[in-house]
Amino acid sequence: MSDRQLADWRNHALALESEVNKVVVGQQTPVRLITTSIFARGHVLLEGDVGVGKTTLLRAFTRGIGGGYQRIEGTIDLMPNDLVYHTYLGEDGKPHVSPGPLLMSGENLSVFFFNEINRARPQVHSLLLRVMAERSLSAFNSEHYFPHMIVFADRNQVEKEETFEIPSAARDRFMMEIPIVVPNEDTIMESLVFDTRFHNVDALVDTVKAEVLQFDELNAFSSVIQNNITTSDTLKKYALNLWKATKAPLDFGIKVSGVDMNRLVLAGASPRGMSMMLRAARVNAWLNNRTAVLPEDIHAVFHSTVAHRLVFSPVYEMRRTEIAREMLSGIVNAVAAP
Amino acid sequence: MRSFSRLLMHCLFACSLAISIVPQSALAIDSQNLPDVPPGYVSIKTVDPIRLVGYTVGDVIEREVILTIKAPYKLVETSLPIIGYEKRYKGQVIGIELKDISHSEEVNDSSTTHHIHLAYQVFTNNVVAKNAALGPEYINLVNTKNHQDLVKYRIPSLDIAISPIAIFGQVKIENNMSQLMGPLELSNKKESNWLKASIALLVISLLGLLYILGMRAWLPLMGGSFAKAYRALRKLPNTPEGLKQAVSKVHEALNATATVSVFSNNLDDFITEKPSFAPIKSEIQQFFGLSRHVYFEPSAIHDTGSDPRLWLQQFVRRCRDCERGLTPAPLTQHSGQ
Repeated sequence: MSDRQLADWRNHALALESEVNKVVVGQQTPVRLITTSIFARGHVLLEGDVGVGKTTLLRAFTRGIGGGYQRIEGTIDLMPNDLVYHTYLGEDGKPHVSPGPLLMSGENLSVFFFNEINRARPQVHSLLLRVMAERSLSAFNSEHYFPHMIVFADRNQVEKEETFEIPSAARDRFMMEIPIVVPNEDTIMESLVFDTRFHNVDALVDTVKAEVLQFDELNAFSSVIQNNITTSDTLKKYALNLWKATKAPLDFGIKVSGVDMNRLVLAGASPRGMSMMLRAARVNAWLNNRTAVLPEDIHAVFHSTVAHRLVFSPVYEMRRTEIAREMLSGIVNAVAAP
Repeated sequence: MRSFSRLLMHCLFACSLAISIVPQSALAIDSQNLPDVPPGYVSIKTVDPIRLVGYTVGDVIEREVILTIKAPYKLVETSLPIIGYEKRYKGQVIGIELKDISHSEEVNDSSTTHHIHLAYQVFTNNVVAKNAALGPEYINLVNTKNHQDLVKYRIPSLDIAISPIAIFGQVKIENNMSQLMGPLELSNKKESNWLKASIALLVISLLGLLYILGMRAWLPLMGGSFAKAYRALRKLPNTPEGLKQAVSKVHEALNATATVSVFSNNLDDFITEKPSFAPIKSEIQQFFGLSRHVYFEPSAIHDTGSDPRLWLQQFVRRCRDCERGLTPAPLTQHSGQ
């Protein structure tokens, strides 16, 4: 029964990917990673410049999986209660309270998009992190649950003014950090500019087939994936070695150009991070029609699940992206399996 | 009658022997007892052999004496040394005999020059070198104006050294001064043996070093990662555990060749870096399928045939050929292809 279930869901997942790839072109890797995070039930931090299609990408996925989609813009004056409720004077001249983005869709909330999260204050981060971890919120003297919610946050790494750096503990709550970059193929770039289909985002998103997946069944099916995709002893040993290498890269002979490796890493990947990596790797194995995780499945999600969890010396934080990329590539190259 | 005649014969022989010896010894004794010639009447010059040492029994030593005798003295030729005369010193035969003598003279108005060529032969020897002398010889001169004035002249002796021929018995080799033995040499046998042993050790060490530096292979082409893996594979047992080890060995060889960990998702990079492996790209993919089956996903189907161990051996051999820059050997029909 599980095998058929796994196969059916895989077909649906691949169909969803296909639908999304039609409206967001040249982003196959981010699309695969977001699909993975949806089935691994992990939150995602999107990194990319302005106007590269992050919102379109998320709206397309939301339409495909169904459920509620809410979005909020991170600003320096945004307060935690802005996520929970709005107050306004109604037509009757009386004050009214309406649910904020988090509560608006109730338990049907499937995607919550926090745009430019690093512009919001730490208080807002704090609330969001609790919602991400517990998928619940206390408001109006009652407990609100968001069992199907996945948070997608976006941050712009280029602009640093009036921003609050997301602390490592907060970054660790995200399963993945996915870079969204503009495709560099001429044909894709040309179509993005000249193809009028991409000018109207609403119409574009409406072309995605609605509710390819059932958002309220994803949690249960995620457990099916995690229970059915196996990991061999060799793979476990390999994953452990990868983990050790993130903590002590020099022990594995890993070097990054222009970096004192003795001072670089303050903390490697966390246990939560490694478990999230394995969850994502299992989903990747399932998406590739395998019943067990291979090293290649880990490679597919290694950068996106580990890079943002590494804690570097402050002197190297400014070069974080390139250093993390080079170090993790070095780890993959250095650690053998079997 | 017969005994009488025999006795008579003996007596005659003894008498003749006595007559032949007595005049000579009496002459020699007489010469030494004569007064010396007055100074200024005789001058001498000798031509001596260059080599004065190293003589041994049987050697002949030649010497020439040139005497110039002024008038009125003249040489009594019968006083010249007699061939075969045994010279003695303190009653002992010294073992050097005159073997030959030749004499010629040049007569002038006031003097006569005599060229006397003397050839002595050595009849003695010793276990160590010993001194000996040729001569001295005494000759007599007579005053032609007064025949009663008989004087002697002493030809000086020539010192030589007698060397031994060989030593019999147990003696110190340092005492054997025979010239036939050549110069005494210090024995270098011990040092020579040490040198030979050291050279042998050095050669063995160099071979060992070559073996180590050659990645434990005797020939340069044997030191490649796949060459070693191929040798290792042949020693592994044909069991599931042996297959696991074999796959692991091939992974190690791949990683060592690429200097990074090679997986199926970076195989293209590997082929780009090592184009000599391009002909077996599909087989490398098959190998990853086998590795997946063995190490990660037992239910996964691999296409290496019913005897993956044999396929693996042939695959590694082809990898070894690629490693050496050769055209890979074709697979046999047992390989599962």
